[in-house]
Amino acid sequence: MPFSAFLDGKRTVCKELVAELKKTFSYVSILGVDTGETVYFADKALSSVSESESDRGFVIKMYNGRSFFEYSLDDINGDIAELASKIVSEVKIDPSLESRMISAGAIADIPMKKDFLRENDFGSYEDDYLLDFCKKTSKKTVEADEKVLNGFAVIMTYTVSKLFITENRELSQCYGWANGAVMAVYSDGKMAQARRVAASDKLADIIAKMSDDQKGLIDLARHLANAKQIKPGVYDVITDSSITGLIAHEAFGHGVEMDQFVKDRALAKNCVGEYVASPISSMHDGAAATLSVASYFFDDDGVLAQDTEIIKDGILMRGLSDLTSATELGTTPTGNGRRDSHKRKAYARMTNTFFLPGNDKLEDMIASVKHGYMLFETNNGMEDPKNWQIQCTAEYGIEIVDGKLTDNYVSPVVMSGYVPDLLKSISMVSDSFEVIGAGFCGKGYKEWVRVSDGGPNLKVRVKLG
Amino acid sequence: MKKLLSLLQAQKDISGYRVAKTRTVSHELFFVHKKLETVRATDTVKYLATVYVDHDGFRGDSSFAYHDSLTEDECLAKINAAKKRALLVNNQMYDLPAGGEYERKIGSNIDSYEPEKLGAMIADAVYAADTVEGGSINALEIFIYNDTLTVVNSRGVNKTQSINRVMIEAIPTFTDEKQSVELYEDYRFTEFDPEKITAEISEKMREVKDRLTAAKPKVPLNINVVLRPKEISSIIKELANDLNYTSIYRHTNLYKTGDDLQPGPDADKLTVTMKGRIKGSENSAYFDDDGLDLTDTVIIKDGVVCGNFGSSTFGQYLGVDKPTGKLPCAKVKPGTLDSIDGDYLECVSMSGIQLDLYNDYIGGEIRLAYYHCGNKITAVTGITMSGKLSQVLAKLRLSSKTDIFKAYEGPAYVVLKDMTVL
Repeated sequence: MPFSAFLDGKRTVCKELVAELKKTFSYVSILGVDTGETVYFADKALSSVSESESDRGFVIKMYNGRSFFEYSLDDINGDIAELASKIVSEVKIDPSLESRMISAGAIADIPMKKDFLRENDFGSYEDDYLLDFCKKTSKKTVEADEKVLNGFAVIMTYTVSKLFITENRELSQCYGWANGAVMAVYSDGKMAQARRVAASDKLADIIAKMSDDQKGLIDLARHLANAKQIKPGVYDVITDSSITGLIAHEAFGHGVEMDQFVKDRALAKNCVGEYVASPISSMHDGAAATLSVASYFFDDDGVLAQDTEIIKDGILMRGLSDLTSATELGTTPTGNGRRDSHKRKAYARMTNTFFLPGNDKLEDMIASVKHGYMLFETNNGMEDPKNWQIQCTAEYGIEIVDGKLTDNYVSPVVMSGYVPDLLKSISMVSDSFEVIGAGFCGKGYKEWVRVSDGGPNLKVRVKLG
Repeated sequence: MKKLLSLLQAQKDISGYRVAKTRTVSHELFFVHKKLETVRATDTVKYLATVYVDHDGFRGDSSFAYHDSLTEDECLAKINAAKKRALLVNNQMYDLPAGGEYERKIGSNIDSYEPEKLGAMIADAVYAADTVEGGSINALEIFIYNDTLTVVNSRGVNKTQSINRVMIEAIPTFTDEKQSVELYEDYRFTEFDPEKITAEISEKMREVKDRLTAAKPKVPLNINVVLRPKEISSIIKELANDLNYTSIYRHTNLYKTGDDLQPGPDADKLTVTMKGRIKGSENSAYFDDDGLDLTDTVIIKDGVVCGNFGSSTFGQYLGVDKPTGKLPCAKVKPGTLDSIDGDYLECVSMSGIQLDLYNDYIGGEIRLAYYHCGNKITAVTGITMSGKLSQVLAKLRLSSKTDIFKAYEGPAYVVLKDMTVL
């Protein structure tokens, strides 16, 4: 998968535009983006193979020692001096706001020139093979049980090329990621949907994971169709890796995004160096922390990817920052500046967020529960970094009685509570580890970026409803 | 777009095409406390083009992203790749929407202001509410958009609609010597009214002050819960999604025509109309991204499912004579409730209402509510509600007063009876 020829051809004009805008601003960067996604889909009756909307264009970030200015456009061409003049004009503000700008320190423009590439196997698979695989997988799902109403199979390949230019810096990166999913719509008096997801930088892995365990998928659908509602209460809970990741993400991931520190929107700002979780828990985030969907080489501010230790042995160590928040706080950016697209602002965002594995065996963890639930598969979650309340919804749970998993399924399961209570209740951490690279994360209710999360199994005590 | 259209029109071996072009121009301001941190402007265009190829009794289609920066050769390569892909797709035949050329604007007073001036006026209107001692607005983001959607297809559709809209994200905060609390306010409009903005934010400032003193009530409670438009709109959206042509064709729907969602005499019966436009809603549209004119449709009448809505393609698959188009808005007929009797919890802020139709579940974490107990009203937090959706619908009460929130117009509040609160 080669780097975008479109972006490659824009290196010189980007440098010219940076030089022109530097006449007005103390710091200027240009991020060029060329991403694409192809979706292969089949169900019982329909199929498709299409590109979804891609993102191609530029965002110019400027700083005058006080406020930040950004301009997003589709192409950089024509008379560069004229374009620079237009950009300066477009970001002008009403005179009444000029006295209300922030004031922050200088931005270091550390010299670096590097091209990053992560190979993938997308080019080894033709369209007809991938679509045919989806059609066959859908058919196999539908034919697996007469109670299956429909079977969906989808494969998505996502390719990214980005170019970052400043006066002293010229970086490019090119990589890809793939996701797959199989879903059965099942009716046994009551309807249910069971799904299995796959995520990897290799299509071979996606195809292998979507191919196996058809019986397991249908068995899950059958259980979900007979699932009951949970009796609301406080329970001992064992999480699967996806729910562990959801806790990491919602409980403390959002809470340490340092643009929230600048706005005094995160309680964590006052807790660095303090115990915020059980001493047997440690949590990381970073594009370089593991290989998953958010594993880029540099962020949308041109800061190299890192592995940030957020919680070490229960103590809050540090947060995640983009260039703007780090400049305002006087700290070093951590490579977490991310944009929904070239049309949107960069914020401090999570990447791959996870708890580190511990020493316990999953079977021992289940055996330690007198009455509780094991929770599976993320549905959604919501953060509240200021007040540390949390809501995480699992697709389903399985009741544990006297240390054994039963056949009693509950769905859905909404887990809620006060973040420190939840994190300090972690009493066992398994020695297994999985990060699931199939998620999207919004900030508030917008600014969607791809994220992964996960970790080991945790034993916690929490309110379920 | 001309280059793309002329290349598509020159293709002899395709059965049709469609191009949807969206141009967005924005002016954006980002404040930290009362200081301006970032100023943004954007002028971007996105295209999605689709080619249709009939073959072997089937209709195949494939879409691709187009950019004005593509060369003619690159564009042709994309068209040829889409043609090959369409030949792999064996879908049931359907027709593209036919005919219709017009250009329309969704009503708004926003375009009478210069964006820079409007941005400053909105900021002033928001911060005019920041007058409570101990209170502050810790973050404010203002997005002023002009969106223009054009859809052109091979059957004579050439339609353009534009809308001016504003989104505000404000974070009212209240702090004392012990703690600091906040609420999230996401406010959208197409008509600029500074007094309304100040009133809206002032109300949130009052509520966030109450969050500071909110405490967890004695639980468990079995109590009536009152929801506001944000949560009501989520419930209606979930019900409507189930009645979309796509859900029915794909067998993922739970409800079918004739199903009584509210049996018994205890409820204010729901009447839900899916609509193209609601005055003041940023979701309003004359046509969808297929270029099909939108036809308002009643999907639930007096609590009984009576209709469906959705895209031209899935409508035709279901044998619908005149598909409605992808209707973006929902209007709910107001009910009979003018006041609420007995004890109840009035939800101010939730983490997000959770609905699961298959599992007959409704619930969610409540960040702030007012507990009306006798003559006493106290702010409460740290609680979660849950119940059975079917039982909630069967006893649902709707207010006679109405409100608009995003794509929803309808009762300003609803009462969910007998919820479990923990």
